[in-house]
Amino acid sequence: MKNNSEISFDSRIHILGRSTMSIGFLLLLSIPLIISLVWNIFPPIGKVASGALSLSLIMIPMGIAEILTYTPLIGSGATYLGFLTGNLSNLKIPAAAMALEITETDPASDDAEIISIISVATSAIVSAVMIFLGVLLMVPLSPILSRPEIQPAFDNVLPALFGALGAYWILKSWKLAITPLVITIAVFLVADVPTSAMIPINALLSIIAARILYKKGLL
Amino acid sequence: MKDYLSVANSNLLFVIASIIFVFIIAQSLIFFRTAWKEGKRRGIDKSRMLKAVKSSAVLSIVPSIPIVISLIAMAPVLGIPFPWIRLSVIGSASYELMAAGMGANIMGVEGLGGTGYTAEVFSSSAWIMTLGTISAPLIIIFFLKRISGGYKKIKNKDSGWMETLIMAAYMGLIAVFIAPPITKGGIGLYTLLSGAVLMLLCTFIEKRLNVRWLKEFSLSLSMVGAMALSILYASF
Repeated sequence: MKNNSEISFDSRIHILGRSTMSIGFLLLLSIPLIISLVWNIFPPIGKVASGALSLSLIMIPMGIAEILTYTPLIGSGATYLGFLTGNLSNLKIPAAAMALEITETDPASDDAEIISIISVATSAIVSAVMIFLGVLLMVPLSPILSRPEIQPAFDNVLPALFGALGAYWILKSWKLAITPLVITIAVFLVADVPTSAMIPINALLSIIAARILYKKGLL
Repeated sequence: MKDYLSVANSNLLFVIASIIFVFIIAQSLIFFRTAWKEGKRRGIDKSRMLKAVKSSAVLSIVPSIPIVISLIAMAPVLGIPFPWIRLSVIGSASYELMAAGMGANIMGVEGLGGTGYTAEVFSSSAWIMTLGTISAPLIIIFFLKRISGGYKKIKNKDSGWMETLIMAAYMGLIAVFIAPPITKGGIGLYTLLSGAVLMLLCTFIEKRLNVRWLKEFSLSLSMVGAMALSILYASF
């Protein structure tokens, strides 16, 4: 009985995810299409196709790698939601991981899927509303947000967030943190690799190192 | 050729942007409701689920401000509705600016909003920005079920390893954001360390002095505290 309803929740999430993702996909595609049709401005197809193709050469492998990396972290429901609204690595995944921690939910448990969906949905709504407020209040907000003296704060959101996150999780399982930290520091010392490319690579290397530690019973 | 900003800021595009905004909220609410109901059915305590809501909501407010700042930066060039949509879905500010610039470049225009940035070039930017991001949603629509099924098999075989795998993948992600401030130094490094110290302080207070409510907000507090300190570091 329990098993049955569990399967149905999982299937429900996939049905829901696939249908909403398809609608979102069509909505997105409709924008350039409408611009072209309504105002009759069609950029040369050949040029657009070659531009999109060269962008896709980066985006397709990166997309696959990101999906493989993020799915175990937040589960499939939150992946459907998170990928459509973006800002996964720098906002939604930290939010979901912290939510699991606060609610004392084992990340590999079935309940983790529920908590992750709740967390990512909340985060998506808050971000969307914040951006909406930005649109509504753009005129009064621009002079405030562009004041030079507060720029450092917004330039340093990521170090502030990940300093706090890092301290918490490195303290919690420092053995798993050593390899990925050493690798990234070494890499960034010699080259400026884009974060979105570095995350899946580093996650994979980190998992391989963890596998060795796990097999040897060192964790 | 028509002035592109009259296209970029047209009512029609505002309507589409509003539809997408409503769609994002609706999709999130549907998923939220489904998960909430399933959680209740499984006997997850309501207060536990509420904690997840509160901490995620508070944490998401401040990191959304830089998105608003990019919106303000893109608006003079691309109008309001299009950046609004693009920053609300998928990509990130840096991707969008890169793709928009690429859309301009293939039309032989130097940069966004430069001379010669006509309606045709704007439409080219819009196409490139959109087409560049369609691959991930397509992969998810067709393959996510199979991918998550694969992970479920690992979990059923050895849930201890799955737990370690998740933690290791997460560490891989965190490390990528920790390393740049360390290798670059300066204000970023001080801010990183401040965030770390504040977080340790919050955790200490929460555990030792048993301030339970702090746990839900310690990450947000540490982040905002470190951001405030970065203003101080920058003034030296």
